[in-house]
This record gives sequence, structure tokens and C-alpha cells, in this order.
Amino acid sequence: MRPPADAIGTLALIVGVIASLIFIGVEAALVYAIWRYRASRNLAGQPATFERNRRLEIAWTAAPALILAAVFVLTLGTMAEINGAGVAPAMRIAATGHQWWWEFGYGGTKTANELHVPVNTPIDLDLTSVDVIHSFWVPELGPKMDMLPGTTNHLRVLARRAGSYEGQCAEFCGVEHAWMRIRVVAQSQAEFDSWLAAQAVPAVTQGGDGERVFFLSNICVNCHTVRGTAAAGTAGPDLTHVASRATIGAGVLPNDVARMRAWLADPQRYKPGSLMPRVPLSDADLDALAAYLGALK
Amino acid sequence: MTAIPLWVRRPAGERVGWLRTVDHKAIGVLYIGMGVAFFAVGGLEALLLRAQLATPEAGLVDPETFNQAFTVHGVTMILLAVVPLLVGFANYMVPLMIGAPDVAFPRLNALSFWLSLVGGVVLYFSFLAGGAPDTGWFSYAPLSERAFAPGTGVDYYILGLAVNGAGTIIGAINLSVTILLMRCPGMAISRVPLFVWMTLVTSVLILGAYPALTAALVMLLVDRQLSGHFFDPAGGGQAVLWQHLFWFFGHPEVYIMVLPAMGMISEVIPVFSRKPIFGYGFVAGSSVAIAFLSFGVWAHHMFAVGLGDTENAIFSATSMLIAIPTGVKIFNWIATMIGGRLRMTTAMLFAVGFIAMFVIGGLSGVSLAVVPIDLAVTDSYYVVAHLHYVLFGGTMLGIFAGAYYWFPKMTGRLLSERLGRWHFWLTFAGFNLTFLPQHWLGAVGMPRRVFTYAASTGWGPLNLISTIGAAILAIAMVVFFVNLVRSLRSGEIAGDDPWDAFTLEWSTTSPPPPENFATIPAVTGRRPLWDRKHPEARDKS
Ligand code: HEC
Ligand code: HEM
Ligand SMILES: [Cu+2]
Ligand SMILES: [Cu+2]
Repeated sequence: MRPPADAIGTLALIVGVIASLIFIGVEAALVYAIWRYRASRNLAGQPATFERNRRLEIAWTAAPALILAAVFVLTLGTMAEINGAGVAPAMRIAATGHQWWWEFGYGGTKTANELHVPVNTPIDLDLTSVDVIHSFWVPELGPKMDMLPGTTNHLRVLARRAGSYEGQCAEFCGVEHAWMRIRVVAQSQAEFDSWLAAQAVPAVTQGGDGERVFFLSNICVNCHTVRGTAAAGTAGPDLTHVASRATIGAGVLPNDVARMRAWLADPQRYKPGSLMPRVPLSDADLDALAAYLGALK
Repeated sequence: MTAIPLWVRRPAGERVGWLRTVDHKAIGVLYIGMGVAFFAVGGLEALLLRAQLATPEAGLVDPETFNQAFTVHGVTMILLAVVPLLVGFANYMVPLMIGAPDVAFPRLNALSFWLSLVGGVVLYFSFLAGGAPDTGWFSYAPLSERAFAPGTGVDYYILGLAVNGAGTIIGAINLSVTILLMRCPGMAISRVPLFVWMTLVTSVLILGAYPALTAALVMLLVDRQLSGHFFDPAGGGQAVLWQHLFWFFGHPEVYIMVLPAMGMISEVIPVFSRKPIFGYGFVAGSSVAIAFLSFGVWAHHMFAVGLGDTENAIFSATSMLIAIPTGVKIFNWIATMIGGRLRMTTAMLFAVGFIAMFVIGGLSGVSLAVVPIDLAVTDSYYVVAHLHYVLFGGTMLGIFAGAYYWFPKMTGRLLSERLGRWHFWLTFAGFNLTFLPQHWLGAVGMPRRVFTYAASTGWGPLNLISTIGAAILAIAMVVFFVNLVRSLRSGEIAGDDPWDAFTLEWSTTSPPPPENFATIPAVTGRRPLWDRKHPEARDKS
């Protein structure tokens, strides 16, 4: 199967060429009319008086109609192709929109904001939302598809190049819509398999200071899950392997221990309006917490 | 220098202020004044948006302010600037063009205007009441439900739009009755000037489309204030239902905004080409086709919603179909110019600018009807570019053409051609600089309605160009305002018929007397004034 992005690219090229030709033709006719019939050049001549020409009118209605009919046929073909054209997906991944982050589910294994896929493999995303409407869009992968609460939509993706792809939510979903970015990582089947296996492993209880702060007063754990521990909140991203991700807060910050500490000190500073509140913590607690999360590889 | 001309001459001794007037010309001026004022406000909001987006990760405004600004900008430009401007010109010109003393229901006319204005005031009152709506001009549910938009902004949006819409609906009834029943002797419906015809078609569109919006707004109000569940999936409602209702209004609304502007340039181009319009019947008939089809294309705004391939294919087909009657009008205008003797006045420049820019908006529109392309670029800056090519490059340029053309009739004075040229060329340059790069931005991944973008995206340079373009556009608008004010006070005296024009409004004084015509005219063709001036070469139709 051809990647949907390629199929759309071909169609866009055809439509673009047709549109450019029409554009050039019309603008040229317009410029010609202005230049040829301007009063200063046409002083002596009386204006013509023709005001209709049935044949001409039929012709210039039929011509665009024929062009559009052809474009429509191509449209139908490409629509079928980007939906998978009868090729069954090699795997399905659940993608769920949250105000302003993404949840990805591989069976029972959940992760956030970073979608890993095996390269050159047709995959269907099952898209839904828990709150408002979002839209999954990674331009290099082709089409976007809305994520609606209460409904599941499907999007075929096929990444041909190994590496990372950037995208972001395309349906206005509230105050932090601009920082709801997606990272897609396409890797070889072997790399993908080991990544998935690593994600599936629950965290081990470390018993350090950071972990103590994490469970303190039931604040963080109310919203976040760390599999393997008692933390099972679902309002925020799964943090079991948070340190394995490249960014924090769906793209607002690169992920390292220093930035993690800054985020924890005041998420509202980097993502004002985000649903992660600022939790007042001492400097020592912040250090410990950042170190704890930084160890969740 | 003579005294400032009165826009509306009142019968001697009677004092009727702007507040109590029921004269269609005075109400037309009120509408236009409202449109100009809100256009300025909406323009300032746009400048704020562009300033914030000039550089990546900028912090000029906070996200909440940005979201309110683009929401209010969209609503303002569409419902409080463009529609009132078009309705204002229709109000002023339609009775004059059909040889009538006034509209059919003068008092209702005043009611329409005041409702439209109050709707706008209600919307803007939200700023004082705790925050403007911040959910975008189409305010999708469930984001607009109380759970996600707990402030009062959306409630003011609902009330403002409903009241404004009531005014527009009443105005449409008034204008259509006027056109159907008050034409002067001899003016068969097949002889009305095209601006009048477009106003009639637009009025019918308004009557079909606005009630759907009103219904949707009331349902949303029930959801928000009475805990209803129309659009709330958690309560068994349907989020997508809002989209269907909104776009059932929203797409015809596009034609409500563009058909009258097409009517304007269909007046301007023949007069300045010294020829009758090419294919009157075709231009008029294709507009009726557009009106019908425009109620059957709404889901092209929803291709990415997941309605299914069959639905998407049907709406793709209807959308391509509507492109035909829309597009071929361009050939009619160019054919009107061919063989003519073109006087490139500012009005004509703007009319030609309309054609040149509308082609781009039309072609990008067709590309959006191609479902797979739409899925790639919908909800991105490509759409922002497309809609501005249609609404600014099309409608606004058409309105400017109409303004330069009719200003002398309304005030007795000509607008300055010298400033007019500056206005045109600055607009043309600024507009393209602002919106052309946005096609690329959208195609490479910049979504619409984002208050900022990561520096790593590389979208900075094109955004900066776009913002520079917006600044040039702002200067162009200042030139226009200066032109308006200066010409009003000391512009060249126009006389009754400065353009040697074809239609009846030019047969009365500038500005026209309260009763419009000393005696109701009688006509024998589509260009009554031409016939009167050239009895030897009367039009046959
Ligand atoms: C009220 C619920 C809530 C609480 C309490 C909360 N968070 Fe969060 N957290 C969130 C949400 C929602 C996000 C997603 C923010 C976004 O990207 O918009 C998040 C994001 C994060 C992230 C970034 C995850 C990623 O992959 O980008 C980390 C790390 C995090 N929280 C840690 C914590 C810690 C540690 C605490 C306790 C001090 C805490 N959170 C308390 C809701 C919460
Ligand atoms: C003066 C020049 C203008 C500039 C610089 C401008 C700029 C903008 C910008 C920056 C946006 C926000 C895009 C986004 O974040 O998605 C926008 C949106 C919009 N503009 Fe304009 N605009 C101008 C004129 C107009 C006019 C004349 C109209 C209508 C007749 C209009 C209608 C809209 C609409 C409908 C939206 C969408 C709002 C929304 O997403 O809810 N604009 N404009
Ligand atoms: Cu979003
Ligand atoms: Cu539409």
C-alpha cells in the first residue's frame, strides 16, 4: 500500500497544475482586457455592444464541468486509497484526545504524546476524545481526522521513513490548543518491539524521597498513573515511562531533569491554562521529585 | 468651499434625527456606519493576532486573550462588518435603482437596523461582563458547552448573534418584498439591475439560512442554561448536530456575503467599460443556481469529522457543482470588458481586483472540495488564506468598488481618485503579502487558531511576512478613512451622474431628495438612463 500522504500528494499535484493553468489563463485574459481596451488606447473606437453569445456561454460552462468531473473521479479513487484500499492493518493503536495532551494505548500499555509505530507498516488509529473535539494531524503522514467524544473514528497511517514526525492538534480545543503537539517515532519492527516491551514493564517501587513526595497527600497520584505502584489517576498522562519521552507537556519543553523540575515547580508558567495545577513544593522536594520522574525510563 | 452636504435631506420644518429616522437612505447610511466602525474594530483585533504571530513563541498576549480576539474578529468581520455594509448599500440603493420612493416597510427597516446593532453591542458587552467568547466563530460543541466554557462569553455570543440575526432576517423580508412589489412601471423582474437581483437572491438565502443558526443558538442556550443535552454526548446528545446546524447556516452565509459584492461589480464593470453586462440572464440565473446549491454543500466543512466516504463523496460532488455557476461569472465580467472602452477609475480598479483575487479564493475552494486534499489542509492556515481570499479579496474589494462608485450619489461629492489609487495599491500589496504565504504555512502543518508555534517548526519567516503585510493593509485602511473624511468635507462636487452611468439612481440628485424621485420614473430596458441619454441606441431588452 502507498502511504496516504503520497496518494494525496499526487492528487494535490494534479489539482495544483490544473488550478495553476486556470489561474494563469484567467489572469492573463483580465490583464489583456485591461491593456487592450483601456480608454486611452481605444480613443477613437466606439465600445462594442454585444451582450451575449449563447454558444460561448455554454462552452465556458461545460469546460469547467468536464474538468471538475475528472477531478471528482480522481477524488473518489484517492479517497478509497487513503482509507487502506482493502489492505488490513497490521495493528491498531488507540489514540485519545485530552485537553491538551494525547493518550496512546497499545492494548493495556498506555503512553502519552509520543506515538511509536513500526516503519512501513499499515496501522489503523482508533481515535476518540474524553472531552471536546480534537483532531489528529501529522502533516507528513497525510490526512487528519477528528477525535469526537462518544464516537470512534479511524485513520490509516503508514510511515515510510524511519525517524520522527511532528504534528499537532488541528481542531480548536480550548486555551492550550497551540501546545497540543504530537511526536510520531517510526522505527524498525525490532526496535519498535523492544520499545513496546519496555513500555509494558511496570515501574518498580524505589522507596526514595521523590517517590514519597509523589505519593504525598495524594496529589500527583490523583491524576497520574505509575503502573506497578498505587498511583492510578487518569486525569493526566501515564507517567510509568515518562523519562523515555522526548518532551514534557505535549511539546512545550524538552525532557530532561532540569526542565522536569521547572515544569513541576510551575506548569502554568509554561502552559498557562493547562489542567495540571501548580503544586506548592519545597526546593528539596522538587529536586527529589524531578529525580524520581527522571528515573522512570 | 460649500457647506458639508447633508446625506439625507429632510422635508422643510420636520426634524427627524438619526435615531428616529425611517428613511431607507438614512438607515442605509446607519448600516454602513455600523459596518465601517466594526470593520475598524475587527481590523484592530486582526492586527493584534498578527502581531502575536509575527515571531515564534511570542508572549505579547496570553493564550486566553488571543482566543477571544480571533473569535470576536471572525464574528465581527462577518456579522457586524460585512453583512451590515452589504445590507446598508442595498438599503440605500435598491429603492433608487428600482425607481421606488422607499422600501416596503420603512419602520420595520429601522427595527432591522437597530436589532443588528444591538446584537453587536451585546456581543461586545461580553468584554465588560467577564470575558468575550473564546470558542471560535463557529463555536463547536462540546467546547462551547458550560462544562468547557463556564464563563458568560458564549452566552453573549448566543444572545448577540440571535438578536443580530433577527434584524438581518427582518431586513431580508423587507428587501425582498420591496424588490418584488415596488419596481417602477416598465421594470420587469428581468430588467432589474444585477445588484438588485443579487440582493433578492441573498434575501432568500438569509431567510433559509439564518433560522437554522437561530435554532442552533437556542438549543445551545438550553444546554448551557437549562442543563439540556442537545450537543452533549455525555448526556446522550450529539456534538456533530451543532456542526450540521451551524454549517447549514454557515455555508449559505458565505454566499450571502459574496453575491451582493458580485452585484456591485456587475454594476461597476459595465459602466466603466461603456458596455452592457455580458450575459445578464446567465449571471442572474447562475446566482439562483448558487442559491439552491448552497443549501446542499454544508458538510464540506466537516470532511474530517468522519461522516463516512459516501457522505463525503456526495458533498464533494455538490461543492464542485456549485463552483461552476460561481466560477463562470468571472468569464462574464471579463467578456463585458472585452471590446469596451475601459475607464480605470478607483471603483473599476477595485472591481478588477475582486476578479483577480476571487479567482485565487475560488480555486483554493475547489481544492478543498477534493476530500483527500481537504483532509490534509482543513483547519490549517490554508483555510485561513482561502477564506480571506474570498471574504477580503472578494467581498471587501467589491464593497470598496461599490463605495467609490456610489459615494458621490450618497454625499454629492467624489472620493479622491489620487488617494483612491494609493488605497487600492496598498490594499492589493498588503493583502497578498498577508494571505498568500498562509497557503504554504497551512500546507506544511500550521493549524489555524494557534496563539503561537514552536520555533523548531520553521514557520517564523512566513509569519513575519504575513504580519508585515497586515501592517501595510492597516495603512491602506487609514488612507481610505482619510479619503472618506476629506472628500466628505471638501471633495469635488459630483453632480447627479458623474460616471455617465446606466441605472436609475443616477437620474436623481446627489444626494437624492427624501422622496427619491420628483416623479416615479418609467423604464423600457435594463439601462434606463442609457436609454434616456441615447434614444437612438436604446437597449432592446
Ligand atoms: C489535577 C490533576 C493533576 C495533578 C494533581 C497533577 N497533574 Fe501532572 N499533569 C496533569 C495533566 C492534565 C497533565 C498534562 C498537561 C498538559 O500537557 O497539558 C500533566 C502532566 C504532567 C507531566 C508531563 C507528562 C508528559 O508526558 O508530558 C508530569 C511529569 C506530571 N504531570 C507530573 C505531576 C506531578 C509530579 C504531580 C504532583 C506534584 C502532578 N503531575 C500533579 C494533571 C495533574
Ligand atoms: C484586515 C485584514 C485582516 C487580517 C490581517 C485578518 C487576520 C486574521 C487572523 C490572524 C485570523 C486568525 C486565524 C487563526 O488564528 O485561525 C483571522 C481569522 C478570521 N478572519 Fe480575518 N483578517 C482580516 C480581515 C478579515 C475580513 C475582512 C474577514 C471577513 C469578511 C475576516 C474573517 C475572518 C474569519 C471568519 C476568521 C476565522 C475566525 C475563527 O477562526 O473563528 N477577516 N483573520
Ligand atoms: Cu486542539
Ligand atoms: Cu462552505
